[in-house]
Parts: sequence; C-alpha cells; structure tokens
Amino acid sequence: MPTVDARPGPYSFDPSSTALLVIDMQRDFLLPGGFGESLGNDVSQLRRAVEPLAALLAVWRAAGLPVIHTREGHEPDLSDCPPAKLARGAIGQDGPYGRILIRGEYGHDIIDELAPADGEPVVDKPGKGAFYATDLDDLLKGIRSLIVTGVTTEVCVHTTVREANDRGYECLVLADCVGSYFPEFQRVGLEMIAAQGGIFGWVADSADLIKEIQR
Amino acid sequence: MTATIGPVKAAPYLWPYDGSVPVDRVALLCIDWQTDFCGPGGYVETMGYDIALTRAGLPATARLLAHARALGVLVIHTREGHDPDLSDLPANKRWRSAQIGAEIGGPGPCGRILIKGEPGWEIVPEVAPVAGEVVVDKPGKGAFYATNLDLVLRTRGITHLILTGITTDVCVHTTMREANDRGYECLILSDCTGATDPANHTAALHMVTMQGGVFGCVATSDDVIAATEV
Repeated sequence: MPTVDARPGPYSFDPSSTALLVIDMQRDFLLPGGFGESLGNDVSQLRRAVEPLAALLAVWRAAGLPVIHTREGHEPDLSDCPPAKLARGAIGQDGPYGRILIRGEYGHDIIDELAPADGEPVVDKPGKGAFYATDLDDLLKGIRSLIVTGVTTEVCVHTTVREANDRGYECLVLADCVGSYFPEFQRVGLEMIAAQGGIFGWVADSADLIKEIQR
Repeated sequence: MTATIGPVKAAPYLWPYDGSVPVDRVALLCIDWQTDFCGPGGYVETMGYDIALTRAGLPATARLLAHARALGVLVIHTREGHDPDLSDLPANKRWRSAQIGAEIGGPGPCGRILIKGEPGWEIVPEVAPVAGEVVVDKPGKGAFYATNLDLVLRTRGITHLILTGITTDVCVHTTMREANDRGYECLILSDCTGATDPANHTAALHMVTMQGGVFGCVATSDDVIAATEV
C-alpha cells in the first residue's frame, strides 16, 4: 500500500478505495475583486494552493483515480439559506461575478485552472460541511480514504474533515493544497487536525503524495 | 411573559442576530462533561494531558446551569462513547487512540475507556443531568452525526443554541459547525469551555469570530446572565 510521510505518522491508503476531495475552489472565494476580497481578505493567501493542486490533479487523473469537487452556494430564491447566515453576509447580493454564492452564477463556479473534468462529480452544499444536506456520503460508497484539498482551511475544509472523520473516513489534508485568508489559521488549522495522535486525520505535503502515486 | 435572552454582549456582534430570543426557543448544550475528558483517571488524563485545563470551565458552567434551570431553558447533555462490542467504533479512531496509549475499549482506571455504561463515561457530578433533561449519546465528535439531536431540537422548537463543554477545539467546535450549517444561531461561552492545549482553546474561539461570525458568536456566562430579561 502507498504510504505517505505525514503528521502525526505515516498515512497508508489503498488507491482503489481513495478519493480526492477538492473543496470550494470557487471564483467567489478566489478571484481578485470577488466576494472573498470584498470582505477585506487577501485572496493571494488562497491562490497559493492553486498551482500545487493543479499539479496533483493532473497526476491523480492520469492514475485514473476519482475526484470529487464541492461548491458552497444557495438556491436563487435563498430558500436553503438559514436566516442567521443571510443576516451575516452578502449572500444573494449582486457582486462583480454575479449574485454572491448563488448557484448558476459565474462566481459560484469553480476557477478555470481547476475546472472539473468530464464525469467528475460536483457536490453543491448549502453549508460549510460537505456532508450535511448533500449526497456526498452516497457518492463515497466503497471509499475509505479521502485526500482533502481546497479552501478555506479552518472553515469548509475543517468542517468537512470533522464530518468525514466521525463517519470513519481516513483523511489526509494536504498542507500546500489548502488555504486560509489568515496565515495564523492555516497553521493552527493544520495543527488541530494532527493533534492528539491525529484526532481528525493526517497532514502532509502534496509532493510526498505525488511521489507515492508515481512510484 | 416569557423570559428572553439577548442582546448578549458578544463578539463579533450582539447575539443573537435577531435581537433577543424567548427562552423556550433556546437550548443550553453541555458537551461531553464526562470523567473520561475531565475527571481523574479518565481518557484525557490517561493520554497524559492536564485535566485542570479541561475542568476549568466547570464552575462557570454549573452556575449557568442553575440559571438556565431556573428560567426553564431546555438543557441537553451529550456524551461521547461507544457500544461495549465496539460495533460503532471506526477502525481508525480505535487505532489512533491505541497509538497514543489510551485505546478506546481498553481497560483504564475508570473502566473501559469511552465505553457506554462505564464510570469514566458518566458526566461529572458538578454538571450532572437532572430528571427531565435530555442526554444525547454520540459516537463521534459532532453531536448531530448519528444521533437524534436535530430531531429533539426541532420537536421542541429550538432555534438558538448556547454551547458549553469540552473540548473547545474538538467536540464543541465540531458540534457548533454542524449546528451552524443546520441554521441554528449559536453562542459559545469562553469561560464554560476548555481544551487540552490552551492555544487551541484560544484559536478555536478566535475562528468563530472571523468573517462576521462565520459559526456564530463568543461571549461569557456572565454576559448571558446579564442579558436575561425575566
């Protein structure tokens, strides 16, 4: 079995029961001038993950392994947006890339560099976690291990890893393929995953995973 | 007249978002105040952590519990644990606990570690449930996954949650994230929580306050008590 040098210890996975999860690499979060930046965030902090993730995707697809993408967003009539969430943010309002975080809008879709390939499932989720109110768990029938990438580290990536971990999936989070607007949360978010003997999973760099896939 | 809570002096906004809430729509969550996590001889102490850190929130939580009970607020306790035959214990969770020297299901000073019915799995006396309070048993860190918590909250008409318990960055945060995705308006109390690593406690609370309150708000038990209108 491939074994990746990881924290808190080696991470072994069977490629026939492993999927790559790419979380919320959407224009609204990543493009300059978009929703993320309008909140005062530095989008370059997130964009650092794009290049390593694109490289990993190429290797992963060449090996014929499954990829699942997620997008956070809501119905145009906002019927699936909790009132407390609506009150806190700009969701549904007009932005430079269409209505913010609304399904079907340009900004809601995944950035061109990481566009889903034909046949790769895209899971639309109304919350931070990719398991709540989605069919992700059904899509993962036969999958035991998840390679987790995407944004943002301490919000949607963390929530999804916590959900996956409670469901018994073995999660490897790739430090250079996840991103936070805040360097401090990137660091602490990754530390929390590997704390207490790996309470939520493992953390590694994509180079060490790629090495194992190409072996 | 029904008593109300709010606006609470919280960060990053006055909680709740809708101004104030009648107490019959609020639940006080007491997460995993079990001997295994904060008592002598429990799981956390067996792993080598200082239980003074996880016990730190007990006095404030006990005081808030008395306040909530007097107001008639719904109190819900949770317990993390597994069936004695370990049928609901994911293989990797068992493996990791063994790696750190405190295997779930193995023998410990307080009985089998994190197993339902064992002394270590019980809630500590300072904040023990009283008759009529809901106790939710959960196999994971989150209190919503594989439990009836959502059903109980909806059946009782609960829309707002006040969170206490341990540990801040693990079970409390996971539950708050699950609740937030489900549309509950959440408030976590800094003096009624605690973590095995103080830095993770602080960071977890800070994370809540970012982006306009991405998971809700942070306050203290005094802030909640002060914002109660009877």
